[in-house]
Amino acid sequence: MAEVKLDCMHEACPIPLLKANKKLNNMKVGDILILETNHSCSIVNVVEWAKKQGYNVDYIEVGEGEWEIYIEKTK
Amino acid sequence: MIKLIDTCKVGDKMRLYDKIFKIPWPYWVGGVLLAALNILLFMTTGRPWKISTGFLHWSTCFLHKIGIDPYNWHYFNSYNNIQNEISFYNYYTILIFGIILGSLIATLLSSEFSLKKIKNKRQLFFGFLGGILMGYGTRLSFGCNIGAFFSAIPSMSLHGWVFGIFMFVGAWIGSKILIKYIL
Repeated sequence: MAEVKLDCMHEACPIPLLKANKKLNNMKVGDILILETNHSCSIVNVVEWAKKQGYNVDYIEVGEGEWEIYIEKTK
Repeated sequence: MIKLIDTCKVGDKMRLYDKIFKIPWPYWVGGVLLAALNILLFMTTGRPWKISTGFLHWSTCFLHKIGIDPYNWHYFNSYNNIQNEISFYNYYTILIFGIILGSLIATLLSSEFSLKKIKNKRQLFFGFLGGILMGYGTRLSFGCNIGAFFSAIPSMSLHGWVFGIFMFVGAWIGSKILIKYIL
């Protein structure tokens, strides 16, 4: 159950999603990826994509216009 | 299962304000709104929405002001329909500033305004490179994905479909390059 932080601040689509995909491929089942972003599109497309992959996903706004997306690798 | 308590997401406690201004709208809502607004624009002004042609007007005027004469260039001589209406204060200028103003209002309403930093030199370099390629492409196709795709297809113009197909081909190749070399 490792937690991995991924810095995607100041990066626009589709970079956060592609970075998350790349990172998750190197993670073990049960690990949690914490994606930090200030790009509002990411809380839509990264979350939708993670759901489609069957991962557990949720996000929280940590500051005005800054989010942390939590993705748990389930398989 | 991850469950976070987010002030914006606690079911029935979600305020109407947050629902409208804070949570990103679904893509289909944006699509319907864009279509409706473009129809309205076309009805009232007789011209569909375009963006990058406005940048052409600005840069051409700028070059003219600093003593370079772009009106003699092959591009402008081949297509004199562009040359006739070049001016800084034009139809597109209002639309471009309208987009910026509208985005600013939406950003402020969701209290997400911030000045985004340039992350590193690589982002800057690829940003410039992408911008130049896009700008060059828009001039060859007489518009960007707004003018030559979004506005062209409802105008029943074949070139919108041609543009669309090759835009997807380009995006596919671009993604491959992005994943392999840039990411």
